[in-house]
Amino acid sequence: MIRMALRALFLTVLSAIGSAAADEVPLRVIASFTIVADWVRVVGGNEVTVRPLVGPDADAHVYEPAPRDVRDLAAADLLVVNGLGFEGWMSRLVQSSGFQGHTIEASHGVRTRALNGKVDPHAWQDLGNAAVYVRNIAAGLASLRPTAADRFRARTEAYVHELEQLDLQARNEIGAIPREQRVVMTSHDAFGYLADAYGFTLLAAQGISTESEPSAAGVGNLIREIRNNHVHALFVENIRNTRLMDRIAQEGGATVGGRLYSDALGSPQSPAATFLQMYRYNIATLVGAIQASAAGARARPHH
Amino acid sequence: MLRVQNLTLAYDGRMAVQGLQGTLERGSLTAVVGPNGAGKSTLLNALVGQLRPVTGSIERDPPQLRIGYLPQQADMDRHFPITVFELVALGAWHALGTTKKVNERVRSDTLSALQEVGLEGFAERRLGTLSVGQMQRALFARVLLMDAPLILLDEPFNAIDTRTTQDLIRVIRRWHAERRTVVAVLHDLEQVRQEFPCCLLLARQLIGWGATSEVLSPQNLARARHIAENWDDTPAWGERCPGCSDV
Amino acid sequence: MLHDILLTPFLEFAFMRRALVACTALCLGNSVLGPLLILRRMTLVGDAMAHAVLPGAAVGFMIAGLSLWSMSLGGVLAAVSVAVIASLISRGTTQREDASFGAVYLVALAIGVLLVSVSGGRIDLLHLLFGTVLAVDNEGLILVAGTSTVVLFTLALIYRPLIVDCLDRRYLASLGVSGMAVHVAFVVLVVLNLVAGFQVLGTLMSVGLLVLPSAAARFWTTRLDALFAVALLFGLCASFGGLLLSYHLDVPSGPAIVLVAGSLYLISVLGGSCDSILLTRLARLKVKNT
Repeated sequence: MIRMALRALFLTVLSAIGSAAADEVPLRVIASFTIVADWVRVVGGNEVTVRPLVGPDADAHVYEPAPRDVRDLAAADLLVVNGLGFEGWMSRLVQSSGFQGHTIEASHGVRTRALNGKVDPHAWQDLGNAAVYVRNIAAGLASLRPTAADRFRARTEAYVHELEQLDLQARNEIGAIPREQRVVMTSHDAFGYLADAYGFTLLAAQGISTESEPSAAGVGNLIREIRNNHVHALFVENIRNTRLMDRIAQEGGATVGGRLYSDALGSPQSPAATFLQMYRYNIATLVGAIQASAAGARARPHH
Repeated sequence: MLRVQNLTLAYDGRMAVQGLQGTLERGSLTAVVGPNGAGKSTLLNALVGQLRPVTGSIERDPPQLRIGYLPQQADMDRHFPITVFELVALGAWHALGTTKKVNERVRSDTLSALQEVGLEGFAERRLGTLSVGQMQRALFARVLLMDAPLILLDEPFNAIDTRTTQDLIRVIRRWHAERRTVVAVLHDLEQVRQEFPCCLLLARQLIGWGATSEVLSPQNLARARHIAENWDDTPAWGERCPGCSDV
Repeated sequence: MLHDILLTPFLEFAFMRRALVACTALCLGNSVLGPLLILRRMTLVGDAMAHAVLPGAAVGFMIAGLSLWSMSLGGVLAAVSVAVIASLISRGTTQREDASFGAVYLVALAIGVLLVSVSGGRIDLLHLLFGTVLAVDNEGLILVAGTSTVVLFTLALIYRPLIVDCLDRRYLASLGVSGMAVHVAFVVLVVLNLVAGFQVLGTLMSVGLLVLPSAAARFWTTRLDALFAVALLFGLCASFGGLLLSYHLDVPSGPAIVLVAGSLYLISVLGGSCDSILLTRLARLKVKNT
C-alpha cells in the first residue's frame, strides 16, 4: 500500500519535472506559407519556432515540396495550414512525411466568398478574417501548451487591436476616393476579399501571360476592357515586358501601379516583411496609383 | 610611261617574278607571254598597284596614271542583276565618282562603245544572259569608257570564240592607233607575232623584252621551256593548272 | 465589312498604328540592305548577329546594371565587332563570309553565355534587350526611324562602290577604292538595322523582315532597283497582314508577321514571274511540245 503510494508520488513528481522541462523547449511548428508563419510567430513568441514551407515571394499554388520539407515536417509538433484548397500539395506531403503531430486549419470559421465556382482561399485579405485566423492559431497553440495560454491570448488580442486600427485607417483612406475611381486591374485573383471589404471593382487581366508572346488581340482586348471599365490602376505583374505594360496602361488611360503582394510576404528587407507591413503597403500602393491616375486624368482629356 | 627596276614579286607564298628590269614605252603594244605559272598575271597585278613588290620598284609616269585593267573574267559575278549598259557605264568612274548620276555624255559614250565591240542593242540585257564571248565584249566596252592611257589585259582571249577575238583585236588596234599603251597577257604565239610589235617573255625571270621577232626566238622559247620544267609546282607549258583559284 | 477587317483595328488602337509605323520604318532600310545581303551571300549573318549581341549586353549589364541604354550600346558594339572581325578574316584570307561569320559569332556567343553566368545568370537580360512590336514607345519609334534614315543616307553615298564590290572586286580595287572599307560600312549598317529591330521588334521579326521579303523578291524581277521595290512591298504587306492576323486570330504578333512574309516567299518560289518552279516547268513543257 505504502509502496504503491510512493510509486504514484514518484511518478507524479517525475512527470511534473518532465512537463516543466518540456515547457522550456519551444514548439516546433511548420507553417504552410509566410503569412500564416508570421501570425504563428506573433502569437507564439518564444514558445514556438516556426518555418514556412513556401518562402517569401514564392507561389504556393505551384509549390513543389522538397526533401527538406518532408524531413522537417516529420520532426514537427504542429502544422498550421491555410486550408480552403490553397495548398493542393499538402495532403501528399503529410502522408509521405508520416507526420504525427497536430494540425490547425487556420481559416476555420472565416467568412468566405466564391471564385470561379469554388471557394476563394485568399481569405486573409479581409482583416476581419485575419482576426479569426489569429484567434484560431492562438487556440491551437494553447491546446498544445496550456501553461502558456494566457500569454498567447494577450498577444493575440494586442494584434487584433492592431488589425482593427489598420482596418479603420484603410477605410478612411479609401473612403476619400470616389467610388467610381476604385477600379483596378490585377493579374492575380488574389484580392477578391480586399476588393469586397473596401469597395473596389477588381478586374483580372485576361489573355496576357509571361511565357508566350502577346497577340494583338490580347493587347487590344485588355485596352478595351481598361477603357470600358474606366480602370484607374493597373497591376499586371506577369507581363515581363514592362514596355508592353506601359503601352497598355497609356492607351487605356490607366496608371501602372507598383507591385502588390498577394500570396506571400516579401523578404525581410522588403516593405512587406510582416503581414501588417504587407497590408499597409498594398493599401498605400493601391491608393497611390489611383490618386496618380486621377490627377493625370484631370491634366489631360481622357481618350 | 612605266619603268620597272629590279622587281621581285611574291604570290601564294612563293616567288612569282624575280629581278625584272625594263621600260614600257608610251604608246607601245606589248604582249606578255611565258609558260604557265610564269608570273604574268602577277606582274599585271603589280603594275596596276594591287600587289606590293617584295623588292624593287615600279615607276609610273605620271604617277596618277589612269590604268584600264581587265582581269581574268573568273573573278566577276556573272549573274549579278544589272544590265549591260550599267556594267559598261561603270567605266566612266573617273568622270562620275561614287555618287554622280549617269549624264548624257556618258550615256552616248556607253552606247557607242557597245556599238564598237559589236554589242549594239544589248544595252538592256541582263548580265546573266550573256555568253562568254559577249561578256568579254562588254568588258572591253567598259575599258573603252575608261579612256585610259595605259591598258592592261589579262588573258583577254581565253576560251573566247574566233569571231569575238577578231572583233576585239580590232579594238586593240584602235587603242594602239590612239597612242595608248597596251599590254596583254597572251598564249597564242601566232597571234602575238601577227599583232603585237613588242613582247615580254617571262619565266619568273626576264627572258626577253623588246621587238617580238627578236624576243620570240627559238633559243629564248627553248630556254623558257627548260626553266619551266624545273619548277616543281606547276604543270608544263600549255596546260592550265586545275583547281587553281585566285582568291 | 472589309473596312472592319482591314482598317478598324488600326483606327481603334494606337498601339496598332505605332506597330505599323515601326515596321514601315524598318522595312525601308531592310528593302535595300536585304537584297544586297543576299547577293553577297551573307544571309545567315542576320541570325548570327542576334547571338552576337549577347557578350556586349552582358558587359553593359556588368558595368551599369539593367540599364537599357548601356546594354543596347554594348550589344551594338559587340555585334559590330563580330562583323568587323569576321570581315577582316574573310577579306584577308581565303575564307568566305559564311565561314568567318559563323566562327566568330559562335565565339562571341560563348563569351556572352560565360559572362552572363559569371555575373549571376540573369536570363532577364535578353527579355530586356528584345522587345515586341506591340509595345513600341516613342523612344522605339525614334530609334527605328532614325536608324532607317542613317542607313538609307549612307547607302546612297556608298551605293555604287558597294555594287561594284559585289560585282567585280578587282575592278573596284583598280580604281583605288577600298573594297574593305565599303564592305565594313555595309556590314555595320546591317548590324545597326538589325539591332534597332531587336530593340523594338524582337529577334525573330527583325531578321525575318530583313531576309524573307528580299529572298522572295528575287522571283519577280532581276533588276536591282526593282528588287528593292518588291522587297519593300512584300515587307509592308507582311507587316500589315501579320498585325491583322495577330489581331483577328489572337496569335502572337512577331511570328504572325514572319509567317506572312514566309507565305509570300513560298508563293514567289512556286509561282513568281521570274524563274519560279511553275514557270520553269511550263517552259520545259513548251519546249517538249514544239
